[in-house]
This record gives sequence, C-alpha cells and structure tokens, in this order.
Amino acid sequence: MANSYDLIIIGGGPAGLSAAIYGGRAKLKTLVIDKGGIGGLVNTTREIVNYPGYAQISGPDLMNEFKKHADTFGVEFLKGEVVRADFSQAEKKIVLKKGQEFFGKAVILACGSEPRLLNIPGEKRLRGMGVAYCATCDAEFFEGDEVVVVGSGDQAIEEGMFIAKFARKVTVIVLHEEGILDCNKVSGERALNHEKMAFIWNSTIEEVLGEENVEAVKIKNLKTGLTSELSCQGVFFFVGMVPSTGYLKDSGLEMDKRGYIPANDLMKSNLEGVYAVGDNRVKYLRQVVSAAGDGATAAVAAERYIEELNDFNRNVMQSEKRVLLLFFNAQDNESLNYCSALEKSTKEDGLDCKIVSVDMATKKNLAEKYAVKSIPSVLVLDKGMESHRFEGLEVLTCTQWKSILTN
Amino acid sequence: MSLKQLNAAGFEEAVYNNGEACLVIFSRKECHVCKEVVPVLEQLQPNYEKKFGFYYVDVEKDKSLFQRFSLKGVPQILYFNGGQYQGKQAGKVEEEQIEDKISDTLK
Repeated sequence: MANSYDLIIIGGGPAGLSAAIYGGRAKLKTLVIDKGGIGGLVNTTREIVNYPGYAQISGPDLMNEFKKHADTFGVEFLKGEVVRADFSQAEKKIVLKKGQEFFGKAVILACGSEPRLLNIPGEKRLRGMGVAYCATCDAEFFEGDEVVVVGSGDQAIEEGMFIAKFARKVTVIVLHEEGILDCNKVSGERALNHEKMAFIWNSTIEEVLGEENVEAVKIKNLKTGLTSELSCQGVFFFVGMVPSTGYLKDSGLEMDKRGYIPANDLMKSNLEGVYAVGDNRVKYLRQVVSAAGDGATAAVAAERYIEELNDFNRNVMQSEKRVLLLFFNAQDNESLNYCSALEKSTKEDGLDCKIVSVDMATKKNLAEKYAVKSIPSVLVLDKGMESHRFEGLEVLTCTQWKSILTN
Repeated sequence: MSLKQLNAAGFEEAVYNNGEACLVIFSRKECHVCKEVVPVLEQLQPNYEKKFGFYYVDVEKDKSLFQRFSLKGVPQILYFNGGQYQGKQAGKVEEEQIEDKISDTLK
C-alpha cells in the first residue's frame, strides 16, 4: 500500500531527522511528516556553537545538512499536520488535518515543543502587533523601539541581547531577586553590563496594553504587590516551552501532566512500537546533540521491533502448521532443559507442528502480548489463534501432544 | 504552486494600480511560523484562481514595504480590494480563518 510504511516519524527537527537517517540506512521504508519547514525550532537559532564537528553554524544550515543526509538514504518527506493517532492496532494509524491516513509498523514521535503562553489579557489579541515569541523572526521590526522581554532563561537573555541590536532599549522582567537570572553565567554577565538592557526584578507581567499595536505592559511587583505601567512597542515572551503533544491526548499514550512523554532508555513509550525522542519526551538536556542521540536510539530500537514483528508474522501468524510457542529464559537452566525435552518429545513421533521458542529476557513484547507470566509456558497457536496453554515444567508426552494437536 | 513574490514596484502595481482583490503575506525565510502558514496559502490559491490574488513579500528583501505598514512581526497576511486596505491577520492562522477573511474582503 502506498500509504503504508515501516517507520513513520512525526516531526522533522534534529531528533526526527536523526531517526530518519538511521531508519533509511537500515532500509526501512521511512516517512517523515512535518507541519512546517524541516528543521523544527532549531531553525530559529542563529548560531550553534556546541554541535560536535561544527565550531559554528547557523540552525537552518545545520538542519539542511541533516535533511540532505536523510535524503541520501531514500527517506520520504511529507508536509502536513498530524491531528490524530491510533496506536491500538499493529499497524499504527496517523491522520492528517486534510484527512489523509498513513500506516506504520512503528512510530517515532519527535514533535518538539512550542513557546508557552502566559495567557494574560492582550497577549493573544496583540500577537504579531507587538507581541512576539521569536527574536530571529521579529526583532528587526523593532528598530529604534522600546521592547520588553519576559523571562530570564538562556533564551530570554540571549534573545534579549539580539533584540537590543535593533531596539533602543530592552527591559527584562525577572521573577527573581535582584541580580539572579536563570540563564548561563557568561550571557548573564554580558546582559547585566549591556548598555541597552535594563532589568525589573521580583516582577511579572499582568497585561499587554494597546489598541491596534502594543503600547505598554502592566507590571506587577510580586514583593510589594504594586502594579505599574511601562510604555513599550514590543513584548517578547520567553517563559519556557510546552511539548507539542496535544493531538496525542486520546491515543492511550502515557504523558506527564505537562504533556511530556516518558520513555525508557530505548526511547520506547508505554505503547508497543511507539517511541518518543527529542524535546517532547521527559529528559534532562534539550539540545541538538541529545536530540540526535535520541533519534538514533529510537530508530535502532524500532528497527529491531519491526524485524521481530516481521519474523513473528512469517513464522507464527502465517504458518501452515500449528505452532507451539514456547516462552523460556536462556539464562535459566530448568527452562533450557524443558526446551530440549519438548523438542525431543514432539520430534520422536513426527508431530505435525512447529516449535517457535521465545526468550523472555529479550522479547518482552511478545510475552506482554500473550500475557505470559511464568516460564516455561507453551501456547498452541493455529494461524496465530491460541487454542491451548500449558504452564510449568511438566513435559507432555508425545501421545498427549498428539491428542491435543489432532483436536 | 508557490506564491508570486512581489517587490515594492510589483506591490504598487498589483495592489494599487490594478486594485486587485488579493492577499499579501509578509514573511521571511527563517521564520518557523511562516513556514507553516505559507503552505496553507499555497494550497488555497488554486481555489481562487482569477477571483483573488495570492502574493508573497520577503521582508528581508523589501524593508520599505513592512515599514510602510508599520508591521511588528511575521507572518502577517494583509488583505486588499480596490486599492483599499481591508485588514490583516498575524501569526499562526488556520485555513478557515483565511477563507473567512477572503470572503469578507470580496463582499
């Protein structure tokens, strides 16, 4: 089917593109869906100085390199916004805004994050009329103006200094006590000594004021409780990010209360064949280099999962003969002995069946799928349908097997 | 199909001399929100062939244009009819909002 893939990656930032490179190289039929331009939020970064191998490169340039690299492995790209996902079937369904549907054996979620809104009066109404979230995009429009920056993290302070290249004055509104910024030390010191930068401490913004365009902001001092107005032509909000995972809320995927997806060290979510990488997962460091690592890990995990799935389909689901699906543990001697005893007892009399053994230690997926709790366990499957189940070390005799299998 | 790009002279011609009913998106290459909105316009464009113009202005190339409309950000879609400014939409706008605004402009 044309809309059917081995691997579907949602999001074309550094995490998604790295996963695409690994997926393409592993010869998986791979599709990357992205709603904007390839590169994600990295595109808004003017300068990256900590991606290994590139002493200095712009965000868009680095992402172009990633994209070109993925292209060489035959990865497909599609522009579109995913609005729904159904992970309940083996073939996972992805639905786009226009109604198109795509199916993937495995899905990697690399949707990234977006700026958090403060949801204060005037913020939404005056967006694009002085309220802004991206300095690379909009700083230039404030040539000679007075601008307010809300926040004191790396982004707020570094972008604030960039805005100061154009604006006459940049006032930073900081929640903390005087002198305390959330950003890195180097940038903090530069900003505090910057001639165009001013700071208002212990404060937050309550409202953005203006008719057609931003004219002022209402500032509240959290210590004194007093509010004041500061006239300005622009307000840039840098008050953190929220994961872009809203469309997944009915998918059965586990997320924390802020919408980040917990993933294990294989980047696997709580759902089989669904992985989360980059900024949209719960993690310690959100950088291009760590996003790339996530992508690689997830793609390799997905590749193995798909291989297992294909193998299982071939050997078990589509098997002409009945299958004895044996769950054992390679590190457990008793269960190993059981394996050989079972093989012997079925072989002796040439029983018309096939034994497929599953090592519980490495194939937890299958154990979960068939709700196998103890080893050894033998399931009798006919075209994938379970007809009998035996748990424990007792080895059935050939005659017993015969009567079961001829039923 | 990609949108027709206008420079200052082309803008004058289409919007004022010809008085075309049209929209003009002010955008820039490296703005991520623009990259989401421009494709929406590209997809809508064929539905309005010969009825409504779709144009693109690169604010890096044509500064005078965004200064003239005192724009404070991209993307920004400006609507015109008969040489008259009919309003604008800023930031991430949805397809339906654009369609509504086009039919308002054509009234």
